[in-house]
Amino acid sequence: MTATEAGALAPAPTQRKRPIGLLLVAVPVLLVLWLIIWPIISAMIQTIWLPTPEGGRSLSVSSYEFFINDPYSRANLSITLWTTAVCAVLLLVVCLPIALYLRFSDSKLAAYVQGLAIFPMFVPSIILSFAFIRVLGPNGTVDLLLNSVGLPKIKSPYLTPWGPVIGLVWDNIPLTVLILLSGLGNVSNQAIEAARDVGAGRFALLWHIILPRVSNSILVAISFAVLGIFSAFTLPYILGPAAPEMMGPFMQRTFRDLFDPTNAITQAVITFGFCILFGLFYVRSVAKNRTP
Amino acid sequence: MSTTIKVARPVDWTGIFFAVVLTLVIVVPLLVVGTWAFTNVWRFPSVIPQEFGLKFWYQTLARADVWSSITMSLTLATTVTLISAVICLPAAYAFARMDFPGRDILFFSFLAGHAFPKFGLLVAIAGIFLQLNLIGTFWGVVLIQLVGTLLFMIWIPVAAFQSVDRRMEEAARDVGASPFRVFWSITLPQAGPTIAAALLLSFVGTFYETEGAWLIGAPQVRTLPVLMISFINNQPVIQYGAVLSVLLWVPSFIALLFARRVVNSGSFAKGFGA
Repeated sequence: MTATEAGALAPAPTQRKRPIGLLLVAVPVLLVLWLIIWPIISAMIQTIWLPTPEGGRSLSVSSYEFFINDPYSRANLSITLWTTAVCAVLLLVVCLPIALYLRFSDSKLAAYVQGLAIFPMFVPSIILSFAFIRVLGPNGTVDLLLNSVGLPKIKSPYLTPWGPVIGLVWDNIPLTVLILLSGLGNVSNQAIEAARDVGAGRFALLWHIILPRVSNSILVAISFAVLGIFSAFTLPYILGPAAPEMMGPFMQRTFRDLFDPTNAITQAVITFGFCILFGLFYVRSVAKNRTP
Repeated sequence: MSTTIKVARPVDWTGIFFAVVLTLVIVVPLLVVGTWAFTNVWRFPSVIPQEFGLKFWYQTLARADVWSSITMSLTLATTVTLISAVICLPAAYAFARMDFPGRDILFFSFLAGHAFPKFGLLVAIAGIFLQLNLIGTFWGVVLIQLVGTLLFMIWIPVAAFQSVDRRMEEAARDVGASPFRVFWSITLPQAGPTIAAALLLSFVGTFYETEGAWLIGAPQVRTLPVLMISFINNQPVIQYGAVLSVLLWVPSFIALLFARRVVNSGSFAKGFGA
């Protein structure tokens, strides 16, 4: 895999090859094989090697055909793609300015802003969901405040496709800001000052000097967010509409409520397919950074 | 920085803007939940609660399902963290200190799960558990949560073991200390704080793990977050959910106290591929 190219693990101090090391790492490695690698392979086999009415099994893509031909499955896939795209764009629009501010500010407020931006990391998404309903739900805090000044109530995003979008953006702000901020560390003050000296405006500075240097971090942040959002479960399950639903709740319902593991696993393999490029890119970036 | 900048920018309007917006969006919703938890009566048109009090703390804590799910969550998180420590710490030591065939590829194999969307992977694992009759069992949930802790419980301790000063260990060996004594008295105290952080991370992460517990465990294994989902969906009394939220936040608060410095350091973001 890409990981080996990086070869980032420092050479072990003991140069003698000692197979006892293999023994010590055996249990976690076997767990990875049994509970990550094997389920993925098995999921692919299981969904194309289907039982036949005669009792045997044969090669068939009928479960994938069912997914593609079923309007409800297609609607769920498109709402998932829509949510993921909107969240990725919103995350960049929200987090890039915060990260830029934190990188270039020397004000005392910066520490407070950074503290707040990271805080959602310490709020479990289940508490976030509850807070969302209490604030933006029917008769929530926003309604109370509007009502007290004589304005009409809002059209609540709770149980609409915007519910999961707001929740997922909130939840993903900390890591997006941290990843972007870490990337902005690569932009040297000298480069900025040099560009300013030749008269570059704020926008030119951002476009020609800063963005090219953080494009990789932006891709990492987006990949991480896409992997998390595409198959998100808790927030869409609680805040989203009952139909169409995102892939996470859809898979859960197909597996547990409809007792249809074959179709649930087909849906899982389809989410793998949509995310594989982001996943490989993300894993490669993590492996590259692993320089102990 | 220099005073010229201060003169050029007397008021940090951008900072004030971000501070105000983030306070409204991030702090206020949580304060609303906190207020609900200490409210006896709060009917619609009133902006502030009609009556504050602890009535619903007594009622929530008198519920059997709350206590059984607290016990379940703590038992699960402790079991998973202990098993994870027992199998991962020796492996981390081996990765840091020994050379063996396939060391690099095995080390990076723990990343495999992170290349896939998490819930899709959980469904694929659930497909395996279905054949093994592990759905709806305690050990099924332990296994699925254990997988989630492997990467952190190996990568963080490896870094800790590698940062231990080898010369001190060699000096101790030279004056006749046994390998175990060296490990106990030199290696562990130096690597200890980082390993403790990994343990805390794994405990808190497991405590809040909702998706695996819901997919594999429900309805037989009911953890605190799973109970919270049913409170949100089916419980008309708002305060039960609010009180449970405050209870549920305690481990996160502890993690916040210990981990804030780690999170703010650049190396943390690097661990996520930044």
